[in-house]
Amino acid sequence: MKKKRVSVFLSTLLVASALLGACSSNTSSPDTGSQGGKENLGSQGNQEQVVLSMHSWRVEDGDGYKKIIKEFEQTNPGVKIEFKAFKSTEYNTILNTALQGDSGPDIMQLRPYQAGMSLADSGYLEPLDSVPGINHFAPDVLKAATAKDGKVYGVPLSLNSTQIYYNKKMFVDQGIQEPKTWDELLQTAKALKDKGVTPFAFGAKEAWLLSLSHGVIAPAEYGGNEFVDKVQKGEANFLSPEFKKSIEQMKELAPYFPDNFVGLDQNDTRALFATEKAAMYIHGSFDLDPMHKLNPNLDVDFFTLQGQDGNPLITTWVDGSWGVNAKSPHKEAALKFMEFMATQKFGEMFANEFKRISAVPGVKVDDPLVNKMAERTEKNATPYLILVYFGEGNPTTKAELENSLQGMYLDKMTPDQVAETVQKSAESWFAPFKK
Amino acid sequence: MNHMQKATERAGRSKPRRRWLIHLFPLPALLVYAAFVIYPIFSAFTYSLYDWEGISRKGFAGFQNFVTLFTVEPFNEMFWNAIKHNLVYFIVEMVVQNGIAFGLAYVIYRKIRGSGVLKAAYFLPRLLSVIIVGFLWKLILNPNFGALNALLTHLGLEAWARPWLGDPNTALMTIILINCWFGIGFAVLIFLAGLQSIPEELVEAARLDGASGLTLLRKIILPLVMPSVTIMTILTFIQAFEAFELIYAMEGSQGEPFRSTDTLAVYFYRLAFGGPSGTGSVAIGLGSALSVILFFIVASVSAISVFLLRKKEIQH
Repeated sequence: MKKKRVSVFLSTLLVASALLGACSSNTSSPDTGSQGGKENLGSQGNQEQVVLSMHSWRVEDGDGYKKIIKEFEQTNPGVKIEFKAFKSTEYNTILNTALQGDSGPDIMQLRPYQAGMSLADSGYLEPLDSVPGINHFAPDVLKAATAKDGKVYGVPLSLNSTQIYYNKKMFVDQGIQEPKTWDELLQTAKALKDKGVTPFAFGAKEAWLLSLSHGVIAPAEYGGNEFVDKVQKGEANFLSPEFKKSIEQMKELAPYFPDNFVGLDQNDTRALFATEKAAMYIHGSFDLDPMHKLNPNLDVDFFTLQGQDGNPLITTWVDGSWGVNAKSPHKEAALKFMEFMATQKFGEMFANEFKRISAVPGVKVDDPLVNKMAERTEKNATPYLILVYFGEGNPTTKAELENSLQGMYLDKMTPDQVAETVQKSAESWFAPFKK
Repeated sequence: MNHMQKATERAGRSKPRRRWLIHLFPLPALLVYAAFVIYPIFSAFTYSLYDWEGISRKGFAGFQNFVTLFTVEPFNEMFWNAIKHNLVYFIVEMVVQNGIAFGLAYVIYRKIRGSGVLKAAYFLPRLLSVIIVGFLWKLILNPNFGALNALLTHLGLEAWARPWLGDPNTALMTIILINCWFGIGFAVLIFLAGLQSIPEELVEAARLDGASGLTLLRKIILPLVMPSVTIMTILTFIQAFEAFELIYAMEGSQGEPFRSTDTLAVYFYRLAFGGPSGTGSVAIGLGSALSVILFFIVASVSAISVFLLRKKEIQH
């Protein structure tokens, strides 16, 4: 009897503890609590030290940020910032959990566009519209950190651009010029192939690289920003002939890809290009560094295709921004740091430290290729349409494009079917397409 | 009343107050178990009944998430596509991995020379981490400079060389076979333990009665190793329906190429945690609903197979 009673007691305890645990987590709804004013002592009385926590997914950037933070701390003696980075693939989970549990960092790096702005939609972020300097950013750039309510929740950090890299030496050896248009690109590819050179280091195993490559090729065909505007107004969509043509172009390139390209991933194609086994390589500005690490002597340049006005278009998007926790007890100090991140000085430190294009307008860098990207971005940028505007839906419209492009290269889908799949996905949530 | 009972009664009488204390000893373990196993199951279940917007929970949704999973495109398509791959995974593992493992275990059991070395050799892959296994095989299977295609070309079988992991016709099977290679040592050990627990005298008696070879295997040995077969079947089923690591390591969270290696667990990961490097959208409600379905599939099939296979077991 006694035994039974004890086991009943134990199992009740077990169930109760499980239930209690479940209840306690339910209370984590994101109401902006009263915590805000609780610990303001630090920022009011200047004597006391305020320590801000700052979370990022760029583990490799830790040392660089420490230098930049030191610069800020010198001019703001009362504030100390502790930079902490987590593995990129785990960052979102860690940040989300911390925010839900009210233990989020004061300052956090935000994913661009919808992925990061969903935090603002859930009420975890502080609006930054009144931070000095924020109005200097281009509207396109601010879009990456603007939530559904129209407020800005992040200071944009850097821009990515995508382009077609080429091996200068191989082009000179084969007597080939930088192509400017789609037709010239096809001729170039054909000329290289005829001479026994693999024209493109290209792989279809990692689907995200397919939409990235499409983003490089397509704007020249669909007409850049004009088409993007029409899409936003619902006047054009993915079934429009100009977009369908851009998908067909992706297919037309297939004969100029390496053998077995459906099984090649990013490491394989980067190796092909860096070891001079292929002449062209479609990739982002962020691949310049890894490429040079594989082969420091690689003589590389890049080109992009011309838009309708005859100037080369460049596809760009914002890669992350920095935001402030709405529940941070040290908001004032955190906002000061946001102000710093919007300055030219920060932009220059960032760009030179990390060899990236700063989102702050007018920043110059030492690296000539990065400079060329930055210059072209300021003059003739077009957004990476599918990433900037179609990162929603589940699965996202971007993921649907990627998967169906992969299907196209595997001969499981036609270019028309790709366009239809993408359109169908976008219609499920994109307001201008809903009728 | 025998001596044992008397002894325990005496012990109980002498220290009646202390006796209940022993029930507290499992408590720490139970608390850990509750916190890390039972609580997550409960919370996943509650999550699946709510509407979610990103990571914040909205209103109660009843079974809407489950309905969505089964009726709305592309969720239903992806579900059936994934579960089909899980089933293929299970069947191939049963036939190839467990079939070969039983053969190998039987060979070792019959005390072939060097059986100890063999046992260690079969188990060796298991010592590697799954991520390393995935990485190594990705190198071996690389379409343009991998060892496998190079070997095939040298043997004059160029026609067989292909992008194993990039071709939707071969990708899933390739990964399953790698998993068989990885898991075969464990299966051998389980079967061997079953074989070695068969009483010698039973086998000997059967031999004296004239049973040999296949008859001995079919009439005596197989029925007696049924407990091991039951365990391996259930473990293989659980493994097949939770297949994730190797696929994630080799084909990413999209079940590439063209979702030809998608499984329920990979699909769940994609739904609940978004795409690569956290850029996809997050659907915690749908993800939780899928994990609850997965839980019930694994739990119910395991329970049924224990029930069915136990019947075939013979106690000795």
